[in-house]
Amino acid sequence: MNKLHRDISSMAGHLLKVATKHLPSRYVASRIFIPSVAYHKERIGNREVVGFGLNGEPSYIDRTDFPMPAIRFKENSQEIITLREKEKDDWRKLTMDEKKALYRASFCQTFAEMKAPTGEWKSVLAGTLVAMSLTIWIYVWMKKFVYQPMPESFSPERKAAQFQRMIDLRINPIEGLTSNYDYENNRWKD
Amino acid sequence: MFRNAMLSGFSSVRNVKNLFFPSLANIKQGRVSAVCIRSMSKHSSETEEEFDARYEAYFNRSDIDGWDVRKAMNDLQGMDLVPEPKIISAALKACRRVNDYALAVRFLEAVKDKCGNRVKEIYPYIIQEVRPILDELGVNTPEEMGYDKPELYLESVYDIH
Repeated sequence: MNKLHRDISSMAGHLLKVATKHLPSRYVASRIFIPSVAYHKERIGNREVVGFGLNGEPSYIDRTDFPMPAIRFKENSQEIITLREKEKDDWRKLTMDEKKALYRASFCQTFAEMKAPTGEWKSVLAGTLVAMSLTIWIYVWMKKFVYQPMPESFSPERKAAQFQRMIDLRINPIEGLTSNYDYENNRWKD
Repeated sequence: MFRNAMLSGFSSVRNVKNLFFPSLANIKQGRVSAVCIRSMSKHSSETEEEFDARYEAYFNRSDIDGWDVRKAMNDLQGMDLVPEPKIISAALKACRRVNDYALAVRFLEAVKDKCGNRVKEIYPYIIQEVRPILDELGVNTPEEMGYDKPELYLESVYDIH
């Protein structure tokens, strides 16, 4: 039984060697899988993992709706380690600078900094207005260079003549245009 | 089923009233409360007092470690309530037990954020109730540390080219 197992595993190993013999080495290296815990620990460096975090991964993120991230913000340097020893003692003995250093060691931004306005609305509004003025300039260019001139019937004299024709034809005499015209005296009603 | 719904509906109406009209008299009597409006799901028929007692007992565990403290704080942050001062006191004492000062200050900031747009009414009351614990442990409020205004600037990742 053992001998069979050994034979099979050695056969598998042999097959693997044969299969990868002609592959360039970079392909073979990527087939080594690091467990995900070690992968994350590599990326966070010396920072202490202190909680579950948002999704179980040891990452740092500042969120007002999730205030305690999974890892501390700063790596454990010598000053921070000495501060942690002091932290185990009475907190009333800490100076304000030490308290601030402890906070910044664990967290990147305070809530006030997270929620501070960015002023992004100004650039958004400016961009929108610039785009609108560009389109108006394009309209001006179109009118000057693209469109044909308007027909003569759009001139003021022609329009006046058309209007007089509407009055003569009694257009909308009950509630519309010529209901406001006094035909007896040939002028507009007051 | 309807009786349960009506009862929980009534209690949540009372709770909502507490949240929206915390008159000064109510504040003095300590009734700006941890409001828990969960009348839709059947398996949360817990009263406010039971909820408060459960979280206070959780933080008062003598063998609690930083992981559990953070979990409870994050859970509280996700709920539609401002924690009661007694829960906050228990949480601060838990921070003391795990020797994490920054956690205590962060929790106070988080509580202030939960007050929403009624922060001027609720937050001073909470600090007033929690002041004995703050003095005993030596925890400064974020205002005393100067963290109620932004101190440092962090460039947005979208501006880094």
